[in-house]
Amino acid sequence: MSATTDANGRSTTNDQEMVPVLQFAGGLPGFADLKEFSLVRWGGDNSPLSLLRSIEQPETEFVVAPPAAFFPDYTPEIDDATAERLNLQDSDDALMLVILTVDKEPADATANLMGPIVVNRHTLDAAQVVLTGSDYEVRTPLATAS
Amino acid sequence: MLVLTRRASQSIMIGHDVVVTVLEVRGDQIRLGIRAPRDIDVHREEVFRQLQQANRLAASPNLEALEKLGSMVPPDEQQRAPGNDPARRE
Repeated sequence: MSATTDANGRSTTNDQEMVPVLQFAGGLPGFADLKEFSLVRWGGDNSPLSLLRSIEQPETEFVVAPPAAFFPDYTPEIDDATAERLNLQDSDDALMLVILTVDKEPADATANLMGPIVVNRHTLDAAQVVLTGSDYEVRTPLATAS
Repeated sequence: MLVLTRRASQSIMIGHDVVVTVLEVRGDQIRLGIRAPRDIDVHREEVFRQLQQANRLAASPNLEALEKLGSMVPPDEQQRAPGNDPARRE
């Protein structure tokens, strides 16, 4: 992909505009060395899905979505330690994403509600957090949602 | 494994930057406070293992199944994107 600079000084590649790059200072469990991930919308205008793709290792990517797309009642609190680590001043600063596991059958897809990803909208600092004392599962079927 | 004995309000340093403090001892439960730099995530061990396994399984999404999933999902509320507008894949 060749890079060019547009009139506003933003670098663009020849087939896509500048994408947000999330910074996972601590990596992800299972992927300690992967600190930077691009977030690319996927599936067209009506799709809530995005691909979180490692910059360091592009073959590693996750399907993510805002939990509200599948689990409207899922509104976990972000704990103080996470808010501090990600410099979140208030809840509007945070974007939450859940990682989906998509195997062979789309109907069997699951979401990790126990370990959502929290992103600071402004700085793009991100971390996978765990909801303390929750009953959420790492593999919650989408099929039972809404 | 290094074994240390601490009382409530005593701490342990791990490396130069991680501090683990015993906040309270109550029966068979111990409350620990952990101070660590931003590039170190702290998790309960069994939870970390669960996340590790879940992430590894999730990291190879079946894009064909994903295509079908994408079309199964009803149009959702407007999704606010972090930072600038995210790219759209063709």
